[in-house]
Amino acid sequence: MKRPGKPEYGFETLSETLSETIFPAPAALPAPWTSRRRFPDPVARFREALEAAHGEVRAVETLDEALAEVAELLEEIGAEVVVVDSEAPLERLSPGVGRHVERVSAHYADPEAWRALCARADAGITSAEALLAETGSLVVSSGPGRSRLASLLPPVHIAVVPAARMTTDLFTWLESRPGGWPANTVLISGPSKTGDIEQTLSVGVHGPKRLVAILYD
Amino acid sequence: MSGGFKSGFRETARIAIEDVELIRSVETATGRFRLGRESALAELPEADAMRDHFKQIRAATLSNLKNHLQIFEANAQAAGVQVHFARNAEAARRIILDLARERGATLAAKSKSMTTEEIHLNPALEAGGVRPVETDLGEWIVQLAGEAPAHIIAPAINKTKEQVADLFREESGDEIPAEIPALTAQARRRLRETFLEAGIGISGGNLAVAETGSVVLVTNEGNGRMVTSLPPIHVAVLGIEKIAPTWAEAGVWLSLLARSATGQPLSIYTSILTGPKQYADIDGPEEVHVVFLDNGRSKLLGTKYEEILQCIRCGACLNVCPVYRSAGGHAYRGETGPPSPYSGPIGAVVTPLLFGLEDHKQLPQASSLCGACLDVCPVRIDLPRMLVELRRDSVEAGLDGAGTAAVTRLAARAFGGKRMLGLAARLARFGRRFVRGNLPRPSKRSFREIWREQRS
Repeated sequence: MKRPGKPEYGFETLSETLSETIFPAPAALPAPWTSRRRFPDPVARFREALEAAHGEVRAVETLDEALAEVAELLEEIGAEVVVVDSEAPLERLSPGVGRHVERVSAHYADPEAWRALCARADAGITSAEALLAETGSLVVSSGPGRSRLASLLPPVHIAVVPAARMTTDLFTWLESRPGGWPANTVLISGPSKTGDIEQTLSVGVHGPKRLVAILYD
Repeated sequence: MSGGFKSGFRETARIAIEDVELIRSVETATGRFRLGRESALAELPEADAMRDHFKQIRAATLSNLKNHLQIFEANAQAAGVQVHFARNAEAARRIILDLARERGATLAAKSKSMTTEEIHLNPALEAGGVRPVETDLGEWIVQLAGEAPAHIIAPAINKTKEQVADLFREESGDEIPAEIPALTAQARRRLRETFLEAGIGISGGNLAVAETGSVVLVTNEGNGRMVTSLPPIHVAVLGIEKIAPTWAEAGVWLSLLARSATGQPLSIYTSILTGPKQYADIDGPEEVHVVFLDNGRSKLLGTKYEEILQCIRCGACLNVCPVYRSAGGHAYRGETGPPSPYSGPIGAVVTPLLFGLEDHKQLPQASSLCGACLDVCPVRIDLPRMLVELRRDSVEAGLDGAGTAAVTRLAARAFGGKRMLGLAARLARFGRRFVRGNLPRPSKRSFREIWREQRS
């Protein structure tokens, strides 16, 4: 890696113009906006919002039921290759016999092979660190045992998440999340979509064509 | 659309308004966006208060921009990002091309970015031996057609599915039915190869968050995620004004951006990018660069045009503008250059300010000053005010003919104060006596009088 900020393109190339600018005294930023949202049933709101964006939501009572839902879903789509993040609660996942299940933790030695697997997988399974009720969003981050590609390259993305990770909206999530940011955090609010041809909705242009959130108590 | 550059707004618009198919496409698309925005904001509690709040945020941020940029730089560097500042388009192009070439990249996967359109990055990459491929479906269509984007967030707004099928056939040699699912599937297939092979990923950024050195990138298709996750190097290019001091401000920004743009509560993917792949990550870019582009922005700070830097490029003003809707995006151009990537009311103001009033003097005239843009702007930017200011500057610089000059001077004064507006209306009623023919009869009482009466 090169030394950050090559001098010819450093801040000083701008600061000349910026210093010449006569700024009035800096105005104060307003006090932070706080969430005005109150949802009596956040899971219902989450479902409504995600379904409006063509995502699917299944709410069950226990983790076992959630994992059974996953197995059923994989059966339904006839998935042969499945890529899975190595994090709770996914270690307990045991999809049907004969299915080729690949976990992130087994591939650290060969990221290229992992990438190729994700590119040909029929489904990717992750969890999510938070759920935003207002917008029907799953918050998915990179980090140990978590792959950016598992939720991106396969045509189906399944997320298994404890419903207790539900928060009201962007503002309540930002307030409550721990400090420090991973290299990549993505708020996923539906399957990949486009309206770029004649403003007609088409699902699954680059990312997953199907997004299924399985929530358990 | 007309090909030659020697045209300007009037010529291009004159051709566009005759193009029934084009106008129908634009009207359908902008109509959907308008409805989407309206219902999304209606569903948001205290949306108007949030817009006022956001206005304060943007104004306060710009009043201390240098400081926020320096804080961003320090925090991004701490996260392992290399931050570059480009004074102009040429410097930005050189920074990006050097990065690509030094690392031996011959293929660049690009995520839609009006800022890279602004600096004409693609021709520079091509000339430097790096093939750029646009991966946003609309932007790819525009690239294959060899055109400029016709809308800030829906670049191929002017294309029919039949035209897209023709372009895709030329690109691949495959016969593709002119049906949207088939066209989308073809794009997925072709561009997936690009994502996996590209040696460099180039994106814009919707905003940068100073307190953590993060870049936020919003897409619906997922191409933004691909471009920032698969190639070994990611370069994000942003205007210097696209900065939120902390996450408190970024939250408001994101709450209004997609709602104003497409009517979604959030876009499908909101990517928060903070540095390269970390030690325990299995995937992600090894290197991340952020290029801040000035290109005429900083000289607007502290002037009557500073407000234009509050813009977040949502495109809401295009969708409501009667002139954009009948002239199309490509009409927003200089008399000698290609179309500006910024069209509609925002384009009519920002294009002359960034690229020169002399060549773009027609653009501030391309408005009836109806004020619809101000009504929908999430930052409440007073575009009509700046359109009038630009007309005044144009007159003062002697860019307009004498007749236009007189009328504009009057109009500027009229719109500048209610006393003059009232006088103008009375003059119109008086003047009508001396004109024969079918002129509309000016109202006996002024609008302001009627308004006052009905409100009391």
